[in-house]
Amino acid sequence: MPLLEVNDLVAGYGPIRALDGVSLTIEEAELVAIIGANGAGKTTLLMAISGVVPPRGGRISFAGRPLAGLQPHEIMRLGVGHSPEGRRIFPRLSVRENLELGGFTQANRAQLARDIDEACGLFPVLGDRLDQLGGTLSGGEQQMLAIARALVGRPRLLLLDEPSLGLAPLIVAKVFEVIASLAARGIAVVLVEQNARAALRLASRGLVLETGRITLTGSGPELAADRRVRDAYLGEG
Amino acid sequence: MREFLRERWELVALVALAVAPLVVPALGGALGGQVTTLFIYCILALGLNVMVGYTGLVHLGIAAFFGIGAYVCAVLTVPIYPFQLPFVVAAAVSVLATAGIGLALGAPTLRLRGDYLAIVTLGFGEVVKVTLRNLEQITGGMKGLNPVPPPGAGVTVAGIDLGRAFAIDPRWFYYLALLALAAVVVAMRRLEHSRLGRAWVAVREDELAASAMGISAVRVKLSAFAMSAAVAGLAGCLYAASLSTTADPNAYDFNRSTMVLCAVILGGLGSIPGTLLGVALLVGFDTVLAPWADSWIQQFNINPSGSSLLSFSGWRLAIFGLALVLVMRYRPAGLVPSRRLAAELQEGHP
Repeated sequence: MPLLEVNDLVAGYGPIRALDGVSLTIEEAELVAIIGANGAGKTTLLMAISGVVPPRGGRISFAGRPLAGLQPHEIMRLGVGHSPEGRRIFPRLSVRENLELGGFTQANRAQLARDIDEACGLFPVLGDRLDQLGGTLSGGEQQMLAIARALVGRPRLLLLDEPSLGLAPLIVAKVFEVIASLAARGIAVVLVEQNARAALRLASRGLVLETGRITLTGSGPELAADRRVRDAYLGEG
Repeated sequence: MREFLRERWELVALVALAVAPLVVPALGGALGGQVTTLFIYCILALGLNVMVGYTGLVHLGIAAFFGIGAYVCAVLTVPIYPFQLPFVVAAAVSVLATAGIGLALGAPTLRLRGDYLAIVTLGFGEVVKVTLRNLEQITGGMKGLNPVPPPGAGVTVAGIDLGRAFAIDPRWFYYLALLALAAVVVAMRRLEHSRLGRAWVAVREDELAASAMGISAVRVKLSAFAMSAAVAGLAGCLYAASLSTTADPNAYDFNRSTMVLCAVILGGLGSIPGTLLGVALLVGFDTVLAPWADSWIQQFNINPSGSSLLSFSGWRLAIFGLALVLVMRYRPAGLVPSRRLAAELQEGHP
């Protein structure tokens, strides 16, 4: 049984259909990249999975359990972590408080402290800045905080929305290195990226989303070699 | 020393206020009653701070809960009703009742934010005031309910008739209100650092991100509504007991709500010391300083005609307004800003 199963998902805002029959599956500890142009529906797909945008049609099930009708916080509690677009860290709270909120569902304080330590182990710079306010971190550090915060919640599936957005190339490499290591910890990742080249290099599988539909699927290298992908998303036309 | 004061200001203030009646004889008179009222407003403002400060929900009708607390307490204790419960029991019932009504107000208004929530809470405040006025058979209409017996009426401890002691010496109420205030401050301090307190702040900062952390925004907001209402109810109960009457329903009108809201904003949203200082300045100005200044001016006999232009009280609201404008201009995060708000204003976050 796949970890996440999406069947014929339809979602949108008002008259706009952002997703028009999307189906996909994600296996345990698998890293899947979703690439596509602006407005293709990538962010909406993640928000529909995490329950922020209620689907209008189709089914989503996680670990065999249908997610229909569940609130975002209930879906998170099942093990779906979401690091939303634009990072959305709490700028006025300290790094420590941000991480503690990531582990809001963890009632065991000792375990929470261990989870925070572990997240800081992935991004040592956060460990050095625990008492600094989130808003005073650099863009790259804020992105690391957003990922670390989601990890403290111990997700089985992590939805990452544009983690490389606005970051310097060196920082992107650092962040992607950590993302690539999550599979080894048994965490499945859905990575939505504009930076298609880097995302496909990391991913075991890739999906191309175009105006609300999945038009291409394949392994990372396959997609990276596909002429249509190269033309449209890798800038080699 | 500065460090000590910053860390332990609560203890220092508590000790100073506890010793004050022993060394300041005036606190045994009218001043004692005024300071007691000040403490009660501090409790009310700390309650409002849960919603407005921590959770970021606008509330323009906190006086309604203050009033409901006062009336529930009065109904349960005044001689014209058969209940005549002890004060402590009546206070507990007031707190539970106001919390319940807070939930009832919160549930249908959860989707509202900002201006819309402000309008609903404003309307709620007016509805409660008018209801208290028109429900004459229960609330006594404009006469209010009285006499609310003092706490411990009929109870004798170590040869002291508590009810009589409360009635004769305002210092008893002074200490009761101070004790309640201290308990509320400690509770708020603990809440700030609890899971619930962090959830309040997370929802205020970013509801979407909070739900991605597994926080139920609905439950968190409802708990803020209930907590604010319950603390305001406790304040109302103490208020009725200390005045030995609920006073008339106009005591719980929009002006009262605004005054408390201004105190919280002036002192610093989400800041316990700020809220207390805000109340001390605003309510202290109104109930302690203004009457004192009036009588002080009186003694020079410069105002024999009683013109309001020459009395301090005549200028009261003008001074009040000017002070608010100046503070908001020069200290926009409040007099004692919470660390978070100060950071926001420095960093220029939205």
